[in-house]
This record gives sequence, C-alpha cells and structure tokens, in this order.
Amino acid sequence: MSTIAQTAPRAQARRRMRVDGWRWAGRIFLVFMLLYTALPMIWMLITSIKSGFAATQFPPQWWPDEPTLASYQKLLDPQNSVGQDFLRFFWNSLFVSTVTTILSVIVAVPAAYAFSRFSFPGRNFLFFAVLLRNMFPAVIFLVPLFILMRAIGLINTHGSLILTYLTFGLPLAIWLLKGFYDNIPVQLEQAARIDGATRFQAFVMIVMPLSTPGIIATAIYSFIGAWNEYIYAYTFLSKNEQLTLPVGIQRFFSENTTDFPGLMAASFMMSVPVVVLFLVLQRYFVRALTEGAVKH
Amino acid sequence: MAHVVLQDLVKSYGSFKAVNHVSLTVNDGEFVALVGPSGCGKTTTLNLVAGLTPITSGDIIIGERVVNDLDPKDRDIAMVFQNYALYPQKSVYKNLAFPLQMRKLPRDEIDKKVKEAARVLDMTHLLERKPRELSGGQQQRVALGRALVRDPAVFLMDEPLSNLDAKLRVQMRSEIKRFHQDLKATIIYVTHDQLEAVTMADKMAVMNGGYLQQYDSPAQVFAHPVNMFVASFIGSPAMSLIPLEASMANGNTVLTGAEGWRLELSARNAQKVAKATTRKVVLGARHSTIKLHKSAVPGSVPAKAYTVEPTGDVTFVQAFLSGAIVNISVPPNIAVAPDEQIWLEFDQERMHLFDGETEMALKAN
Repeated sequence: MSTIAQTAPRAQARRRMRVDGWRWAGRIFLVFMLLYTALPMIWMLITSIKSGFAATQFPPQWWPDEPTLASYQKLLDPQNSVGQDFLRFFWNSLFVSTVTTILSVIVAVPAAYAFSRFSFPGRNFLFFAVLLRNMFPAVIFLVPLFILMRAIGLINTHGSLILTYLTFGLPLAIWLLKGFYDNIPVQLEQAARIDGATRFQAFVMIVMPLSTPGIIATAIYSFIGAWNEYIYAYTFLSKNEQLTLPVGIQRFFSENTTDFPGLMAASFMMSVPVVVLFLVLQRYFVRALTEGAVKH
Repeated sequence: MAHVVLQDLVKSYGSFKAVNHVSLTVNDGEFVALVGPSGCGKTTTLNLVAGLTPITSGDIIIGERVVNDLDPKDRDIAMVFQNYALYPQKSVYKNLAFPLQMRKLPRDEIDKKVKEAARVLDMTHLLERKPRELSGGQQQRVALGRALVRDPAVFLMDEPLSNLDAKLRVQMRSEIKRFHQDLKATIIYVTHDQLEAVTMADKMAVMNGGYLQQYDSPAQVFAHPVNMFVASFIGSPAMSLIPLEASMANGNTVLTGAEGWRLELSARNAQKVAKATTRKVVLGARHSTIKLHKSAVPGSVPAKAYTVEPTGDVTFVQAFLSGAIVNISVPPNIAVAPDEQIWLEFDQERMHLFDGETEMALKAN
C-alpha cells in the first residue's frame, strides 16, 4: 500500500515530463510553421509601405525610415493609369470569382442533394466520374480546354474562365455538400412533407438551413479557387482590359520591375478579400470539413 | 377522424415485393398496430399510407377519398417518427407551429392551438427550447404534439417508443394509449415489439415477409393464431412449437415424439389432426398451459430440464422435447434443477395444433 503511495506521484511526474517534452516539441514546430507562413506576408506588408529606393537597399531596412502609403494611393487612384489598370483587374477578378461562386452553389446544391437522396441508374458511376477530374493535375487540361474554348469562341472572354473554374471547383463542392445531406435524416423532409410542405418547400425550408455551413464552405472554396487561379487566366486571356488580378499584377509590374512597393501593395490588396472571407466564415468552413466528412 | 382502407396493396422494388397484396380496414377511431419482425414490410406499409413511397398497385382510401396519387401534405395525416424528426433549427414552439403555418392559418389561431397542445402535453415551459436541449421523453412529446396540433384524420406512428429507455417506454406507452382514448383518434402504429401491440392496440395486423398474416384483436390473435409464425411471434416467452408425428392406436389419435413417447389426443384435437395434409403435426403450447410434474402422471410426457430462470413471482423452465425447446412457467416454490428428469402435461383444451407442411393452424371444423 505504502509503496504504491510513494511510487505513484513519481510515475505521474515522469509521465508529465514526457508529455511536456512532446508538447514543447509541438509548440516549437507550430512556431516554426507560423514564422514560415507569416514572415513572407509581413515582409510584403513592410515593403509595400517603403519608398521605391528603400525597397531595393542592401542591407535591407527592417523597418522603413519613412513609411509611406504612396503605393496604395497610386493603386487606388482612378485618375492614374496604374490605378485604372489595378482597379479594372480587381473588378475583373471580383466579377469572375463571384459569378463562379454563385454558379457553383446553384449547381452543387441540387446535384449533391440528388446524389444523396435519389437512387437513379448510373448514380455511383456518375458520382465517381465527377470525382475523377480531381485525380489529374489541372495543367493537363490546359491545352485541350484551350482548343475547346477556341472552338466555341470563348477565348478572351471571362466566360471561358468561369466555365473552367466551375469544372475544377464543382467536384469537391458536390462531394462536400453530399456529405452534409447524407447526415441530415431523411425523416426531417418526410415530416415536413406530411406537415404540409411540397418536396421543394421541404428542401428549401428544412434541409437548406441545416446545410448552410456546407453551402458557405462550398462558396468560400469556389471563390478562393477562382480568385487565386493564374495559369488558365494567363492562357485564355490576352487583352489587357480583361485580365484578372494574378495575371494583371504580374504583367503590369514586370514592365516596371523596379516598383517593388507597388507590387507588394497590389499583392496585399489582392489577399484582403480572401482573408476577410475566411476570417468571417472560417467557423462554418471548419464545421463543414469535419461534419461533412465524418459519419455519425 | 376517418377510417382507412388498404385494398390489395402492393409495393415492389424490382422483383422483390416488400408489401404483398395487403388488404385491411382501420375503422374510425380505431388503434391498429402493424407488428412483425424487421423487414416484414410494416414500415413500408406505413410509408405507403403516408404517401412517402409511391404504391405499385392497389388502393389506399382515407375517409372517403382514394389517396393513391396525393402528396403526403394533401392526405390529412400526421406522423410520428422513430427518431422524432423534430426540426433542429426551430424552437419547440416553431416545431409545433410549422404544420399550421404551412396550412396558412392566421397567426393568432396558430398561437392558440400551439399553446393548447403544449398545455395538453404538459410542456408549456419548454416552448422556447431547441430540440437538442430536451430529453428523449420530452422530444417524443413534442413529436406527438406536432402531430396532434393539426387535428388530422389519421395518426401514423413509426416505432415512436423504440428510442426511449425501458422505464420511459412503459410510461409513454400508457400516455399514447390515454391520448388515443381522449381523442378517439384513428391511429396506425408500427412496432416490432409485440408487447406494445398487445397492450395498446384495438386490433393488430401481424406481418411477415410482406404478407399480412393475421388481422384481429390482440386477444383473438393470442388465443387463435392462424399459423406457426403468428403463434411464435405473439406472446412472451414465445409459444413452444414441438414437431410430432400423428398416428392411430386402438382407435385413438396419438402424437409420437422423437424420443418415442406417445400423447393421446382428446376427441376434438383428434378432429383437428384429421384435417392435416400430412402426418407431421406441430404441437403449440404457451408456457402457462403446460403443467410440470416431478413424477410420471397419466397423460404426461417425459422431458429433461435444461435451464431454470427464477424471475421472482414465476420461474421459467426450459426443457428439450422432441428436438424443440419448451418453455414452462412454474410457481417459484417448485424447485427444479437443470438436467433433472421432469414430466410435462399439456392442457388439451388450450393446446394449438399446426399442419407440419403448410404451418397453418388446424381447426376442428
């Protein structure tokens, strides 16, 4: 009895030490990861408020002697030609991403619901065919899609990008939402239909509100995918006034390679909508990824 | 309230018939239990009546209307589900109000009806809660409330008690029975628990393999099961079914067990056996109709005790007889040991005889 009383605290202490060791290793790893991801962004922010000269100095100015918002003012000034271009690219990106997002929700919600609730011939085949696209890297489809878009006359239109982004975004969106609908008991809709709703009303009034997190996650996913996409935008669009931000920033600033603060300011402003979206809706995003994926 | 008629109802999935030519009538204000083992077609039948599943052929009549092709919302029914199916994002109040809102009732009338239903079910204090904040029994009550708030022609209940713990189940059982008596409601109630069916229903429809086996009052089904399935399904512990061989000896009909013992039948039972299509006859006996003797008495047959289960006010003895397990209940003061030699005496008046081939009950006339 007494031996147990004596050894127990010591064993406990030893166990705690071992756990603490792992915990500290984990913390150090996380700090490293945080620096790895955050430092480039911090450097981007700092550079964007430097003058053009200060940005290229070596050794670098860790904190600018004369912080300035001149780059931001230039980019956001509609009178200035740089500002005009930047705002147009921003608008183009916003347009393409928003339309992609809306369309992908409009298509994915009923598609996922159908895959989840109805049994029809070829259902499994279709579902896996939808996912098959995700097994290949996106670049593989670059040339075929270019030829296709040229054939249907969509080259140099935003439509070509919207179509392409839908092709890439929809499979995961449908998969994600189907998980959601699978977890909503079918009896809820049955109850609603008996309580006086049509099948469509039951879907809109009962099922849709319950799948809001999934729909929001789908929307974020589509929006970010379209917002950041570079290679297809670069290939399909050649007219300056149509470019989206990732391509536009690169094209515009490669002609004036010296303006690093301007480039960084543009990059920062490009990341703002995504970061804001994510911060506001991340709660839903996490819930969607965990709840949708795991069967209860 | 209204009556419900099922006429030659069929539901098939490909070549599989989940519901096979089922016909029955539920009278106005009657409580009918659809009972059977899982996969027997009882829930499918209920879904057909609700309109949640389209029928393959046959007719469903609620009140005076043929409702075959009507949407669930137009059939004037309410349903209580096994998992309650309360709308998780709505408060109890809104759950109860939903069916009324869908029927476009004025708001003050909705309010009145919801509060009345809450009062009847004693859950006025729960109205602002969300379903996940309620206990199982409370959720069950809300589900019931959502059904009764609308005053439908027929209530459909799909195993509403099977998610509750044993104590609550017994309590809710009497509440639902009371609810039926007060409302004079027409209720179709699906359960796999024969005890629920026997205790609550005016009539029970025993189903198996998609077929309606027997449709009658619980007392009738208990006393006169039409076949071996119904006999073994209704009653707990189950009726013992003992396969025997019929023959004539000295002008009397006797049944012979696998061990070689003989049981002489009464004149009435002999008449029944004469109707059999084969010499194989199955003797059915409920535990309470078998007498256990410690020594041989005239008319008794020898058996060996297998297990002995005292439950307090009655002791259940299981014995092997002619390859079958026989359940016998004895008063607790009779001590029986496992493997002890015992003699069983069957009550000729209350025994059941079944045709060994068709498995149907044998009748005297």
